[in-house]
Amino acid sequence: MAIITLPYRYLERLAGTDRQTVIDRVPMIGADVERIEVDHVDVEFFPNRPDLYSPEGVARAMRGFLGIEEGLPAYTVRPSGITFSVDPGLADIRPYLGSAVIRNVNLDEESIQSLMSLQEALHWAVGRGRGKVAIGVHDLDTVTSPFRYIASPRSRAFVPLDFEREMTMEEILTDHPKGRDYAHLVENFHTFPLIVDAENRVLSFPPIINGELTRVTAATKNILLDCTGTDRKAVITAVNIICTALAEAGATIESVTVEGDEMPTLAPVERVVSVGECSRLLGLSLTPQEMARLLRRMRFGAEPDGASRVRVLVPCYRSDILHDWDIFEDVAIAHGIENFDAVLPATSTVAQEHPVTAIGRAVRSVMTGLGHLEVIPFTLTNDRVLYANMQREPSPGTLRVLHPISEEQTVVRTDLLPLLMEMLQANKHRELPQRLFTVGDVVVDCITSQKAAAVSIHPAADFSEAYAAADVLCRELSLLYTVRESADPAFIDGRRGDIIVDGRVVGVFGEIHPAVLTAFDLEHPVAAFALDLRAVPGYPVQPGTP
Amino acid sequence: MELTLNEKRLLVVLGAMGSADAATLAEKMDTRREAVVQYANLAGERGLVDVEKRVSRRYIPTEEGRAYVGKGLPERQVLESFEESIPMRDLQAHPLAKIAIGWMRKKGWIAIRDGVVQKSGNTAPGPDEAAFARIAESGEIADGEGVADLAKRGLVEEEETVAYTVSITPRGRELLAEGLDLQEEAGTLTREQILSGEWKSLPLRRYDVTKLPKRAYPGKAHPYQRIIDEMRRVLFDMGFEEMAGGIVQSSFWNFDALFQPQDHPAREMQDTFFLGERWPLPRGYERVREMHEHGGETSSTGWGGTWSAAKAQQCVLRTHTTSLSIQHLAAHPTPPVKAFCIGRVYRREAIDPTHLAEFEQLEGIVMDEDVNFRHLLGFLKEFYAKMGFEKVRFRPGYFPYTEPSVEPEVYVDGLGWVELGGAGIFRQEVTAPFGIEHPVLAWGLGISRVAMLRLGLRDLRQLYRSDVEWVRETPTYGGRR
Repeated sequence: MAIITLPYRYLERLAGTDRQTVIDRVPMIGADVERIEVDHVDVEFFPNRPDLYSPEGVARAMRGFLGIEEGLPAYTVRPSGITFSVDPGLADIRPYLGSAVIRNVNLDEESIQSLMSLQEALHWAVGRGRGKVAIGVHDLDTVTSPFRYIASPRSRAFVPLDFEREMTMEEILTDHPKGRDYAHLVENFHTFPLIVDAENRVLSFPPIINGELTRVTAATKNILLDCTGTDRKAVITAVNIICTALAEAGATIESVTVEGDEMPTLAPVERVVSVGECSRLLGLSLTPQEMARLLRRMRFGAEPDGASRVRVLVPCYRSDILHDWDIFEDVAIAHGIENFDAVLPATSTVAQEHPVTAIGRAVRSVMTGLGHLEVIPFTLTNDRVLYANMQREPSPGTLRVLHPISEEQTVVRTDLLPLLMEMLQANKHRELPQRLFTVGDVVVDCITSQKAAAVSIHPAADFSEAYAAADVLCRELSLLYTVRESADPAFIDGRRGDIIVDGRVVGVFGEIHPAVLTAFDLEHPVAAFALDLRAVPGYPVQPGTP
Repeated sequence: MELTLNEKRLLVVLGAMGSADAATLAEKMDTRREAVVQYANLAGERGLVDVEKRVSRRYIPTEEGRAYVGKGLPERQVLESFEESIPMRDLQAHPLAKIAIGWMRKKGWIAIRDGVVQKSGNTAPGPDEAAFARIAESGEIADGEGVADLAKRGLVEEEETVAYTVSITPRGRELLAEGLDLQEEAGTLTREQILSGEWKSLPLRRYDVTKLPKRAYPGKAHPYQRIIDEMRRVLFDMGFEEMAGGIVQSSFWNFDALFQPQDHPAREMQDTFFLGERWPLPRGYERVREMHEHGGETSSTGWGGTWSAAKAQQCVLRTHTTSLSIQHLAAHPTPPVKAFCIGRVYRREAIDPTHLAEFEQLEGIVMDEDVNFRHLLGFLKEFYAKMGFEKVRFRPGYFPYTEPSVEPEVYVDGLGWVELGGAGIFRQEVTAPFGIEHPVLAWGLGISRVAMLRLGLRDLRQLYRSDVEWVRETPTYGGRR
């Protein structure tokens, strides 16, 4: 999540209001106030609003929301005359380049920090960890146009940021901290992306690291921006958000010619939207005038277009506007979420319980009637609990998670009984007798189904108790079954039975094998049973498939 | 005053004896001493007898001590085994020599010179021997001179005995003089007594209601399950149909069908449990692809880029039950639909008191002609109120598959406003590929969070660890423990 630091003095100057008003009202445009400090507030914004990842962007939005300055913010772009070429050899590596010149920046330590934070937040939210977009800012006055974005041999050397000596790009990937962090993005290519100036001096090795040459300092007056990436739209978004944020701070923006195209334009995108559709979605009755007024508060350009439409100009930094409904949400926010009357619709429907939970409920009723206590174990477990301790062979349909979080949670359970045994182990020090049961999902071969299982531990627990419990549950579930001797190694030979329905084994009961008891560190006999609930009449035909 | 039969019998015996110790009374009443003490305490509470409790200490021989009883302490035994003197080597042959020689020297009974043991003049028995000798008579000794030395040597050990002397009080005598009904009391009422009418004259033994009963534990549903059932009940009351489905979902249903872009961070290995398995895409998946790539036939631009079918086939442990909601809607595209699901969901999170890799999520959807954002807020208010959260407020929210989105907050005493779940209207990019033409209101919440609040837990893991003691002691109905 993007947590943005808003220094009060800077924010108040930009927003034209006091800090308390911003802190009180900013949650209502969609934010969480994380920390209120003496000189700043930390606010978390949603991942779809990277335009709010800077004090400048927040101030721009709040000026509109609070009615201080409404409508489309105007940004003028003059051509800089600077040009960029893009090497066709980058087509399969990192083909897109966005650029701009930002003049008359007035940087101090705080605003450099703010710019770096915006860059990092954009790397996360728009750049997907620099893979999709990586951003570089350079002191323009240290280099000379025209610039070239090229696919360079990996042996090319330059002095990377924070280092004093030249390193080859390959060395950077192993020896520079940023190189190590992002090596996975480029290491499989024969050539590496590189930005050089007219004199072949290195500005940047995107998406890894800039050159030390163009380091931005408090003395920097003019910035050259580069955004490289694999997605054209995302590259443009990053350029637009950075340029407009710096423009809000007082800088002037100039365009760059990239392969013949002037960019950025910072021009809004027009959408003509239906007032009726918006009213129906939100449950309001809006006129085009009202709707346009609300949208101007959200910094859109908006004018009624006839009796039923509004012509909307979407600011270039609003990359979240994909669909008309995204605009309607802004109407709702401008109206004030707290100002909506909550009502229930007239929709009339009839409740219905799912058959699987109905069967589970029946199991619960029978087992609690028998004096068993319900437990709710995890569904992620491991081979030791599920198979080794039970003396059972792993089921071939066992699902293994690819990147487990711990050794305890590597597989999805295929049976419930082992988890009940583990539960008895955890409750070893509690008063006996303990009779436990559980009912829930198991997964075999991607298919989810349900089982029930029960255990009883006390000095007199035996086969008869297990049989009686399994029998009564089957009878109560209207399950006609037969029994034959089981071969389940989790149970004692001669004290175990398989529950058979339609010739298929659907359950097992008996006395748990002493070796299993020992494996679970138990000291008393355990009577147990497990039942596959798919055998129960009325179990739905369609299984839980992916 | 209703006396138990046993109290009456005690009074009768005491009437003749006036006062007696519990052991004697037990013999007379043909019962155990403990029982007599119990009757006497009961009668004592009524002022009919006085019970005097005397604690006395006595010493009884230990295992080692018992070996010497009647024979004398080892040093005495060894001392008497020889005349005036004996070579040390010979003396060491005595079985008790090892213990005895030290004590004999300590007590000044012998002197050892040039390997010869010589008795001294003073070998008179000390107080320890005198005390030890008394054990032979009664098997025990009272505290006295020398006993402490024996205890220190581990030959005797202290034993505390409690003696009770019961004496009848004047009030007891008065009652006795009035005459007592000594008819037998019945412990249980039998079938025969009920049928014969004998019960009419049958004195049934009275029970002391101030004594706590033996603690019984019923079989019962897990406290968390009860909360889940309560929520299901609320949703049934509101006319919702229940959904259930698979834990394993294809990325298609878990992400793509919900318009989560394929490069969304939630689709990376560090946030989601991926499986090696793949599942074929459903018929009509192309409409989802078109939606991702360019927005299909809606006003959407889509995410752009190229949508990968292979990526959509990867199976995951479902990260939300919304994957079931969209499948339910795809199967029931005609209004009205009101459905809910309570199911386990999986996040690849490090486990701590407030985060688990698996937990339950509740999700509700409403699809009908002309349902709108205000109705969404209406359902949320109603549902939370029925769950006991009277104060609810809303803030803008963000979820990839809803627009508009809100974050509901409920007021909890002692905690203030607590964010509880998320809600919104399904984006057209989500509904359009499945032919769903009307708005779908949707909300979800992590209900383990609610259970924590309701059960007063500080650690989520408690819900799944199922400490038997905790489940037994958590009431089936009503407030937290």
